[in-house]
Amino acid sequence: PGDGPNPGGGGAKPGGKPGGKPGGKGDAQSEKKHKETIIDLSKHMDKPIRVKFAGGRECSGILKGYDPLLNLVLDATTEYLRDPEDSSKLTGETRQIGLTLCRGPAVMLICPADTLEPIANPFVPQD
Amino acid sequence: AMASSGPQNPSQIMPLELVDKCIGSKIHIKMKGDKELVGTLLGFDPYVNMVLEDVVVYEISSQGKKVTRLEQILLNGNNIALMIPGGEGPDN
Repeated sequence: PGDGPNPGGGGAKPGGKPGGKPGGKGDAQSEKKHKETIIDLSKHMDKPIRVKFAGGRECSGILKGYDPLLNLVLDATTEYLRDPEDSSKLTGETRQIGLTLCRGPAVMLICPADTLEPIANPFVPQD
Repeated sequence: AMASSGPQNPSQIMPLELVDKCIGSKIHIKMKGDKELVGTLLGFDPYVNMVLEDVVVYEISSQGKKVTRLEQILLNGNNIALMIPGGEGPDN
């Protein structure tokens, strides 16, 4: 009994262990797994970065601040506009939107702004 | 209410502090999809759900922009992608 999506009753732990008992072993495990970002944004501070969002938006700007949830503050932000008919295509047009905040939950990709370049489609068979 | 933050570099701008400074001013919000809003920020919570006043909502499609006006709203923060403090909207 007690087998369900959140066994053990303690709602606070994300991804509770199946069959885990509250307290004891459960707590020791969750202490070790303290959440850590896999990217160190301090290395990118005051440098231009490119950000892609869930939903297709893209922008770039100078990283001026961040928090552990990956909210970002970008300065001199450029937004890359998309084709209204095909939202996966960039038109090449941009808009300068100044100082912005990028919401961590929506951020999908972060990379240095100068390391992104278009390449020929590798999936199209070359005859 | 400020979200707790990790190690702080004094010369960086904390994201939620930037939002806090914007309370009382205009803010331009871009959602994950093709919707944008401009309004006066009255407040927000740790999830960045926002209370906005005198809001103009722009729905952007290949057919153009559909504009709606709303007096006061609670905006669910789940779909917010980008926020521009002091922003005036997609027509600038």
